[in-house]
Amino acid sequence: MIEAVQFRNLKALRDTTLPLGRFTLIVGPNGSGKSTALWALLAAGNMGLLDFNKIATVGLGVHNNVEVVLHWGGTFAGSITYATWGPTGEHVKQTDFDEEVPGDVVQVLTDKLDNILSAIRIFSFDAPSIAAPTPLEPNMTLGSNGRNLAGVLHQLRDAEPERFNALNEELARWLPEFEQILFETHSGGHQGFLLRTSEGHHKIRASELSQGTLIALAMLTLAYIPDPPPIVCLEEPDRGIHPRLLREVQDAMYRLSYPENYGEKRDPVQVIATTHSPYFLDLFKDHPEEVVIADKLGLDVRFERLSDRPDIDEILGDTQLGDAWYSGVLGGVPSHP
Amino acid sequence: MKLVVLSESPEDEAAVRILVDGVLGIQTEHVAPPFRATGWSQFPGVLPAVLRKLHYQTDADALAVIVDSDASATHRLAHVPHDGANQKCRLCQLRLVADQVQNGLTKIPGRAPLKTAFGLAVPALEAWLLCGIDPRAIEATLIQRPDARTRALRFQLKQDVYGTDRPSSDVRMVCAIEGAKRLVQIIDEFERCFPDGFGSFARDIRSW
Repeated sequence: MIEAVQFRNLKALRDTTLPLGRFTLIVGPNGSGKSTALWALLAAGNMGLLDFNKIATVGLGVHNNVEVVLHWGGTFAGSITYATWGPTGEHVKQTDFDEEVPGDVVQVLTDKLDNILSAIRIFSFDAPSIAAPTPLEPNMTLGSNGRNLAGVLHQLRDAEPERFNALNEELARWLPEFEQILFETHSGGHQGFLLRTSEGHHKIRASELSQGTLIALAMLTLAYIPDPPPIVCLEEPDRGIHPRLLREVQDAMYRLSYPENYGEKRDPVQVIATTHSPYFLDLFKDHPEEVVIADKLGLDVRFERLSDRPDIDEILGDTQLGDAWYSGVLGGVPSHP
Repeated sequence: MKLVVLSESPEDEAAVRILVDGVLGIQTEHVAPPFRATGWSQFPGVLPAVLRKLHYQTDADALAVIVDSDASATHRLAHVPHDGANQKCRLCQLRLVADQVQNGLTKIPGRAPLKTAFGLAVPALEAWLLCGIDPRAIEATLIQRPDARTRALRFQLKQDVYGTDRPSSDVRMVCAIEGAKRLVQIIDEFERCFPDGFGSFARDIRSW
């Protein structure tokens, strides 16, 4: 697990540290570096994704680098990975380990951390991509915008029928108007999916489903795939979803992060999500350690874990967390209007 | 009897319905859609709209509302009637709001006034679900605890009820339904253990 990420000279993230836990929800105004932070994490595993000239803080001196420093925790506690992008286009990644780590173990650990970093995924679901029919290929994975969902579901049905059935049951709890995911083959062998309605057993093609339904299904599928990425970043997973369904979205994310609570045997996934929804934020009132406020201070950005504020309970009192955030008393709001 | 529940969650609603039926000894009918508030701070604001909606646009007979006390003042029998209402007590606040709204409603011929019942789970519904299982799950005992108004106690209660402080919706629903059914079986003991928060609720219901 990554416990914290330091950023230097990366767009709005001039010099700031993002604290992370098994699950982290980041809230803040537009332009406060939430998405930049997620993309920087992704780039730490695939450094070619970032181009210095596009990511360097505006006005950065010619001798300064862009740096992303990852502080590892858990079984990798004490390890620090430095990812650096230079103005001449070079990029370097290096991991330092605790002095007590034997030399022959260093390479093994380096490989493990590289594997984790290269497997980081960002998801920003988009309804048309989720609904699009997809060719069937071996080992299909869910695309960052939700593409391949039909293929991933089809694969799940064949390879893990019990999981697929459980997903169907959960879908029926989320959206009682539907009871079953079905498939159809399109021209060229592309696979599409449909949802069968509980009443009348009508088959609704993916392309005819609402945006919220498609995003909910993509979220649910991500939570049910047997081998999710070790670190999952979710851009506004609540987008398009009715506020009363947000608890289920939270459930899906917790299924990834706290698999032991859901009868899952796999390792926990580190989840980092962003939101602009006060309703969604409300759901985390009992876990302020999972909430990070991104605050714009002039040209700088500061990340602060809510539980690190000693006065948080006094400030909140009876106020809903989302209301308090919206009001501005917690920071993380636009300076204008 | 057509019953509407205003609650924070589907599982709270399920538990409240079972408890109301248990106190009344009948099976009430549901009125859809269920009404929700996302947390305590929404209840006083939402309640007037719910009462007006029910009075003018539905044939609902009764409204039941349960809120968690969290870190707020706990209800006392001495808080009622109005002269003794405690502004810091959530249950008293809701009753005052309901009385003000209901007194201002235009009478509709043939429409009986909406019956209401308000309860306060101290500090949260999970404490009720432990009644009869954990001897410490007693209103007076919980109020006296040094951590009575802290998040730590609510975490502990969740751990005790669900086995985790991050229960899934499914687990919460199963525990709420099973727990409420069990409480109905020991309703006298439950009322003795939670005389203010649940006792008030039960007395409201019996007055219908």
